[in-house]
Amino acid sequence: MCSFIVGSLMTGCVSYRVIKAVEGRSVPNTCEEFRIGTTTLQKALQTLGAPDQVAELEGKDVLIYQQSLLANSGLSFGIPLTDIWGSSFSFSAYGELVRYDLVFLSFTPDGILSEIVIEKGSRYPYLKTMFSEVKQ
Amino acid sequence: MKRLREPLCILLLIFFLQSCAGWAKNRDYHPFDARELDKLTVGKSTVAQVTEMLGAPSTIVKLSNGNAYIYRRSLSKGTGLWLLIVSFGNYEKRYDQIVIFFDTKNIMTHYGVTLDADKAAYGLPF
Repeated sequence: MCSFIVGSLMTGCVSYRVIKAVEGRSVPNTCEEFRIGTTTLQKALQTLGAPDQVAELEGKDVLIYQQSLLANSGLSFGIPLTDIWGSSFSFSAYGELVRYDLVFLSFTPDGILSEIVIEKGSRYPYLKTMFSEVKQ
Repeated sequence: MKRLREPLCILLLIFFLQSCAGWAKNRDYHPFDARELDKLTVGKSTVAQVTEMLGAPSTIVKLSNGNAYIYRRSLSKGTGLWLLIVSFGNYEKRYDQIVIFFDTKNIMTHYGVTLDADKAAYGLPF
């Protein structure tokens, strides 16, 4: 009986949650074969498929391939003493981190690769990134 | 050990009695057929032919030397699991995308295809 009461009370006192959300496909590593000045728009589209974003930037055409990875976790702990003491103790901590893997390709109007940027946000571990200080 | 068996059994019973799970699915649908691309020819097909086969695009983007027509649809799947004091959630969203590039004369110059929506899956966050 005691275990039953303790177990039931625990549901309202302690909780931990883990949430993960992924949007888009993983960004392929094949773009590392691309070379500025020689790789064409056609080659990029054949290799990587349709981009997630297309835009014109200062006379150049930009393709962006992107995957976002959200990680959320939360811990809450409370002792319901309201009926006995009049107030209760509670503690909670939540964190959310969104990381991006992306490939930025810029092409001249003739369709030749002029710039490439690769970012692998997923290589940053959740806890280490959450507690790291942002350097200005 | 025998003294612990009963409380453990009760705790396990509570654990499962107070658990639940849920699934969700969301589809952002546009009825384009990527197989129609086989009927189009780079350097010949026009905007009119493309829109006749694939329908109206989701987005049109102005580029340095023409336009890009973007066809996009998505499929999302979510999973939730609540186990007494621990809960897990997982959400995955994938896209089917076709991007077709046209020159200033509205002739198709390039295209890219990604058919990935069906790869969205239910699961747990680890």
